[in-house]
Amino acid sequence: MAERLRAILPGLAVLALLLAGLEWAVEAGLIRRVLLPPPSVIGTTLWDLLASGEFIAPLLATLRLVFAGFAIGSVIGVVLGTAMGWWPAAFRLFEPLVELLRPIPKSALVPPLMLFLGIGDTMKITSVTLVVIFPVLLNTLQGVRGVDRVMLDAARTHGWGTAHTLWHLVLPAALPFILAGMRISLGLALVLAVLAEMLAGQGGLGFLILDMQRSFLIRQMYAWLVILALLGLVLNGVFVALERRALHWQNRNP
Amino acid sequence: MRRPSSGVWLVLGLLALWEASARLGWVDSTNWPPVTEVVGALVRDSVTGELPLRVGGSLYRMFAGLLAGGLAGVVVGLGFALVPMLARLFGVVVELLRPIPVPAVIPPLVLFLGLDDPMKITVVALTVFFPVLTNTLQGVRAVEAEALAMGRTFGIGAWRRAVFIVLPACLPYILAGLRVALGLALVVTVVAEMIAGEQGVGNYLVVMQFAGRAPEMYATVLLLAALGYALNRGFVALEHRAIRWWFAMGR
Repeated sequence: MAERLRAILPGLAVLALLLAGLEWAVEAGLIRRVLLPPPSVIGTTLWDLLASGEFIAPLLATLRLVFAGFAIGSVIGVVLGTAMGWWPAAFRLFEPLVELLRPIPKSALVPPLMLFLGIGDTMKITSVTLVVIFPVLLNTLQGVRGVDRVMLDAARTHGWGTAHTLWHLVLPAALPFILAGMRISLGLALVLAVLAEMLAGQGGLGFLILDMQRSFLIRQMYAWLVILALLGLVLNGVFVALERRALHWQNRNP
Repeated sequence: MRRPSSGVWLVLGLLALWEASARLGWVDSTNWPPVTEVVGALVRDSVTGELPLRVGGSLYRMFAGLLAGGLAGVVVGLGFALVPMLARLFGVVVELLRPIPVPAVIPPLVLFLGLDDPMKITVVALTVFFPVLTNTLQGVRAVEAEALAMGRTFGIGAWRRAVFIVLPACLPYILAGLRVALGLALVVTVVAEMIAGEQGVGNYLVVMQFAGRAPEMYATVLLLAALGYALNRGFVALEHRAIRWWFAMGR
């Protein structure tokens, strides 16, 4: 821990210098206050949001979208990816459809989805789900196909059934791939959640940031942006930590 | 001619279901036009020139951002990898900026750069920067130590080593990062156009949504998908030409 701290200490010093430099540049009039308030003022606003608990409701609103979409999309991706990797018939059936839907930019689907599902949570969660599915699906497919043939033969020799083999051999073996796909999807999920909130014009952090800018509440805009950035940082950090725990066996025999 | 697989039949079946459900009123909604009408809208707007003009604008912004962000990613990546001090000093700032979801940086950038090209190109460049940076770092780590040692033995200076040994050796990694970035760049261009300003395909999509013109909207989504697919295919072809030696090594 102390060692890690020492490793990032120079970086933190640079960050502090950078903030101090910005503070000075704003005070000296090099950057206009209406564009960027001094970092200390943003800090005070941020502190007010945090201390008053005002940040909780929007944060939870965004988090709910991310988690719901991420969970649903991951399950669909893993199930479909496993089926396609395991049964050639399933691969032949779904592969053209997947290849057709994959290049569609999911963010462009938000406006059509708004027509069908309105601007509520259903639309937002569906948008997040759609973007989560594909990286998970493709990585699961790759992982399932990469399972050691010898292990599969051994499982058959021991008379393991399909369900048992999938659950106890194929999925654990594909787990590193699945988790790598899920890590990509988690970042995308946050992006789509924020975008859907912005386009819907209501809810969560994404809407607030856009709304504050349009109302010229610039300090608040930056404060909410910092909260969103921290959310991204924490989500990624937590996922990486969980991933490392789930894959602790992997490092022993690389 | 290969016999069409079950998957092709599934796609055709779904398209037929789409067409039938809209034509026969199973889904009674103005938001659900038949697929033939969507294709018709696509052809119509392409012929009038409205859509091609907007696509051209979006592509220009995308490539400008890709170029700026890609260059910055390679330069910073090489700097971080070859001068560890730089990575120690600025790594933290980069890692703090990385997890910010792209749409969220658009409002502040609007303040500084306005609603038009400079803002959008910057957003794209920011998105492109991170995957290229990560891959460049990875690429430099994969450069063979023997090649560097040989360069040193022959008395090649640090700058020339960076340009003539390190850069070509990590080109496959950089290109892989650019390929990821290319997909993101198109998406982000569209996102930026949807949120701010009145340019490009993204804006067209939102305008058609507000006008309630569903066929045009779906046509735009189809066009974007085709564009994304074509860009990726084009890039892969170029990649194979640029680093044929890499693939020839059986990787």
